[in-house]
Amino acid sequence: MAFSCKNSSKFNGFSSCIKMVMVGTSAIMMQQRTLAMEASLCVKKSKKKGADSVTRPNSQISAAMAAVTPLLLLLLLSSAPSFSSGSRNAYNINGRVKIPQGLGLGTKGYALPGRMSNVKVLLNGGQNITFLRPDGYFSFHNIPAGTHLIEVSAIGYFFSPVRVDVSARNPGKVQAALTENRKGLSELVLEPLREEQYYEIREPFSIMSLLKSPMGLMVGFMLAVAFLMPKLVENMDPEEMRRAQEEMRSQGVPSLSSLLPGGARN
Amino acid sequence: MDWHQQYIGKVKQAVFHTHKTGRKRVVASTEQNIIATLDLRRGEIFWRHVLGPNDVVDGIDIALGKYVITLSSGGSILRAWNLPDGQMVWESSLHGPKHSKPLLLTRNLIIEKDNVLIVFSNGRLNAVSCIDGEVLWKKDFEEESLEVQQVIQPPGSGFIYVVGFAASSQFEMYKINAKNGELLKHESTAFSGRFTGEVSLVSSETVVALDSTGSILLTISFHNGKISSQQTPVSNLLEDSPGLAVIIHPSVTGIFAIKTDAATIFIRVIGEGKLEVVEKTNHETVVSDALSISEGQQAFALVQHAGSSIHLTVKPAHDWDSNLLKESIKMDQQRGFVHKVFINNYIRTDRSHGFRALIVMEDHSLLLLQQGAIVWSREDGLASIIDVTTSELPVEKAGVSVAKVELNLFEWLKGHVLKLKGTLMLATPEDIAAIQHMRLKSSEKSKMTRDHNGFRKLLIALTRAGKLFALHTGDGRIVWSHLLQSLHKSESCRQPIVLNLYQWLVPHHHALDENPSVLVVGRCGPSSDALGVLSLVDSYTGKEFSSLSLVHSVAQVIPLPYTDSTEQRLHLLIDADKHAHLYPKTPEAIDSFQSEFSNVYWYSVDDDNGIIKGYALKTKCSSNVADEFCFDSRELWSIVLPSESEKIITTATRKLNEAVHTQAKLIADQDVMYKYISSNLLFVATVAPKASGEIGSVTPEESWLVVYLIDTVTGRVLHRMTHHGSQGPVQAVLSENWVVYHYFNLRAHRYEMSVIEIYDQSRADNKDVWKLVVGNHNLTSPVSSYSRAEVITKSQSYFFTHSLKAIAVTLTVKGITSKQLLIGTIGDQVLALDKRFLDPRRSVNPTQAEREEGIIPLTDSLPIIPQSYITHSLRVEGLQSIITVAAKLESTTLVFAHGLDLFFTHYAPSRTYDSLTEDFSYALLLITIVALVAAIFVTWILSQRKELQDRWR
Repeated sequence: MAFSCKNSSKFNGFSSCIKMVMVGTSAIMMQQRTLAMEASLCVKKSKKKGADSVTRPNSQISAAMAAVTPLLLLLLLSSAPSFSSGSRNAYNINGRVKIPQGLGLGTKGYALPGRMSNVKVLLNGGQNITFLRPDGYFSFHNIPAGTHLIEVSAIGYFFSPVRVDVSARNPGKVQAALTENRKGLSELVLEPLREEQYYEIREPFSIMSLLKSPMGLMVGFMLAVAFLMPKLVENMDPEEMRRAQEEMRSQGVPSLSSLLPGGARN
Repeated sequence: MDWHQQYIGKVKQAVFHTHKTGRKRVVASTEQNIIATLDLRRGEIFWRHVLGPNDVVDGIDIALGKYVITLSSGGSILRAWNLPDGQMVWESSLHGPKHSKPLLLTRNLIIEKDNVLIVFSNGRLNAVSCIDGEVLWKKDFEEESLEVQQVIQPPGSGFIYVVGFAASSQFEMYKINAKNGELLKHESTAFSGRFTGEVSLVSSETVVALDSTGSILLTISFHNGKISSQQTPVSNLLEDSPGLAVIIHPSVTGIFAIKTDAATIFIRVIGEGKLEVVEKTNHETVVSDALSISEGQQAFALVQHAGSSIHLTVKPAHDWDSNLLKESIKMDQQRGFVHKVFINNYIRTDRSHGFRALIVMEDHSLLLLQQGAIVWSREDGLASIIDVTTSELPVEKAGVSVAKVELNLFEWLKGHVLKLKGTLMLATPEDIAAIQHMRLKSSEKSKMTRDHNGFRKLLIALTRAGKLFALHTGDGRIVWSHLLQSLHKSESCRQPIVLNLYQWLVPHHHALDENPSVLVVGRCGPSSDALGVLSLVDSYTGKEFSSLSLVHSVAQVIPLPYTDSTEQRLHLLIDADKHAHLYPKTPEAIDSFQSEFSNVYWYSVDDDNGIIKGYALKTKCSSNVADEFCFDSRELWSIVLPSESEKIITTATRKLNEAVHTQAKLIADQDVMYKYISSNLLFVATVAPKASGEIGSVTPEESWLVVYLIDTVTGRVLHRMTHHGSQGPVQAVLSENWVVYHYFNLRAHRYEMSVIEIYDQSRADNKDVWKLVVGNHNLTSPVSSYSRAEVITKSQSYFFTHSLKAIAVTLTVKGITSKQLLIGTIGDQVLALDKRFLDPRRSVNPTQAEREEGIIPLTDSLPIIPQSYITHSLRVEGLQSIITVAAKLESTTLVFAHGLDLFFTHYAPSRTYDSLTEDFSYALLLITIVALVAAIFVTWILSQRKELQDRWR
């Protein structure tokens, strides 16, 4: 939960990220794992850097991350809340919005392009609004200590609001949790829970769909009965035919169809 | 079927970007806290960003030719945006020791190959790198009383001047090294008078200021760090005493302007503090900032009004008498005066200078003028709609023949063949284009007559600028617009404010030939006891046919459900002294009103003191002025909420025009519940005063939310409920017998929505058949607020993911169609949510009977289904309210959402069960019929042949 987390928990956070993003084969998963190791090392290093340059810790780290792999630009320190000089009880909240590449463009070509420049991050129901930098980072400045709610507005994606606790007693400690599923976040990395499709897909016109519909099946069956049945009757042995007719007369059920294989179903 | 229009609001500052080849743009910041770039050729929006409500834009500029720099939030946030696509590049937070006027300076200052922005904000001078927003150096100005007025960077020099006033009578000048922020020199001079604040910069080392009496002009120059000053009384320059003068500061070298009540005076500074009047005009004049057109040469623009046209003059700064450009442009009277002008130049093919001017008008519209013509215009007044009403279109006249509209048979067939091709996906691109064209041409939706389904209407929108717009619901075009003359700034009305819009005349059987009209209510001044202004506007033509300056204030307007013989609706205006005034002032109106005199009740909500009061009419006014349309009121009841524990934050009432189909509600076990339907129901939400602030400012223990349902005739509290650990903001909607409200639950730290349904218990014992047969029932007794109804309420709460900006409910003409809630989310989308999800009878395991009735199993949170966003992938930026209007077709409701953007759509909560949808394939129907007929013939022939063969056998 806490951001000043240990190595192990960081690694956990990592693998869960991968789970969310990757839908690929296990081979890819393996590859990801190894990369993840590299990345977490990288994080440790850059974390030190981030500590001394408090105001802008992200650029260096992102540079370091870029060296790892763009696919795994996952995780990152972020939310090292820092004192702003001058006012004692105002904090900064830093975080990152991450829209996985595979989600938006994929098989479904009509998915809306989640343009990063149109993503807004809102604090406490629109009281403060901020935007994303090209690498997805955002920050709120001069936020008082307390419990806050961060929402992300991005067309085409569903984000859970995030509860963020900025502690006054313990500067530098920020806790975050998704309010939708009460999952704690080790880092303030916000990812969409799911994609949103605003349009229903209209079924394209096709002969098959017409034939598959109940009406189509009924028509098809009737045609089959109308044209195939006389043929079946023709191929019957005249002897058998006569016998069947007699049988029918005796039963008093004047239905030819009941004798035939398809007719019983009717 | 739906349309979406995007606006940016009233432009505050504009910067052109036309140097490079490629698309020419203009970057603008507006009073609605928007930064946008527009296409200079057509006026379309390339991109735009809406900043937060407190994030007011202080200054914009373009840096490095590729970044848009914005300074906002009182100078504490500096952002850079990528010019082509609007992606934010960097963001810097600038803090300082104290609050001060924010100033942004981006003159091509280069320090060690780095382009630098100089920002003065919060008492600190910052040099910020353009590349990544890093603060290179900073210098604090901590003197308590210092008010920095200007930051000047003389071109080509390596230092910066910071000038300002200390203790408002001392002029201070700091000379700062631009490379490292080192203080080079500090000088100050005391003056006898006091300064008003504004200074005008006339050269890089001279400023002009006015003293606080507005009668003495001070010319202060600080050449080489030495302050020298000169005082000139304004009366020396002008023969007649001008009264209080104000400096308007075009930053033009050598020239400044002062504005008095009567005139605008342009003054030139010659040499050492000598002033000379160059021109004095009595017209309303607007001046642009200086634009440097070639080396050392500056130009600026003047715009003056003359009748129905405006004169645009561009002058070089050094020579007042010559004109670079003089144009006269015809201007629509409905746009009012010019408020702002921005100029830009271009090089013509003959190497002379051409100028284009962007002007902002009184109605907030934005126009680009070039070569004596209006190139494009944007109606950005529509970004600040205050109130909306609708008006029916005229009935189609008999004279218009239908045949002309219909195409001939061949074309009709051709059209259908094309459509068929389209459905079968055989159409070529040309065919598709032809289909589109046909659809547009033959589209019924943009006709100016009433249609059978009631989809075509006029949306009458009142904007903050005091302009009325009529929009066609079919395609959103502006049918007419009218700047209200009665709400214009004048001697008698200095600060006009428009308030509301009401339907004054709706043509009905008595007055079918009359045009409908609307009533606009305004007041002269921000306080509630300022005098009111009424204006009546024809809905078809947009002509203001009558206007009234009232002698009383307007605190409340009550449209009464009565009309006079010309179908004018009676309105009761309550003034600040609780007198009621009846309009229209006709004897007939008073006659029809007398009979209903005792049935008129109203209430008032005093948010500040937490008092809700109910009133009724008493007698004619007892004041000495005989006015038979004025009535005294008496207070009937009052509810005083304890101010230490409850603060009113939201109230909601039912829509007056809402139709309820049935009072009875059949429930699963063949039982009946009777809805308590009263138009006098008021929903009030209060919170703990501590918790009325923002989210997270209080702990759950010290915050609570209390909701009331109050009958406004008797003042009886029908229901009261407390949500502990919850707080606002509360959004509520009341309809039929239920209210739905949205609030924040601090314990769960999530938003919640609750529903309260209220049922009439006194009718519940009518189930006995024998009672009905004998006639011993009260089903036909009228619903009255006088009778003390026994009510029961049911309620339930659910989690909801998003914050809300607005909430509304669908409205249909008869109220038969099931209701859906229309929720304006924080992402500026409109989500439709079935009311069945907010049904207090939901339970975890509904019985079989309940399931059949349509009760959904209870879940703790409300579902958000992406397909039910009625705005689909569009955003209605800055969403403010959602308006629903019933169409004539029972299944359909018209939805209009407005904010900065406008969005309109038809919405059918239960699908269009009473009409075929637009995409219904008539072609397929035809094919099926033809195929069936053909099949009949074929089979008939086949059977005949078979029969013949059988006979031959």
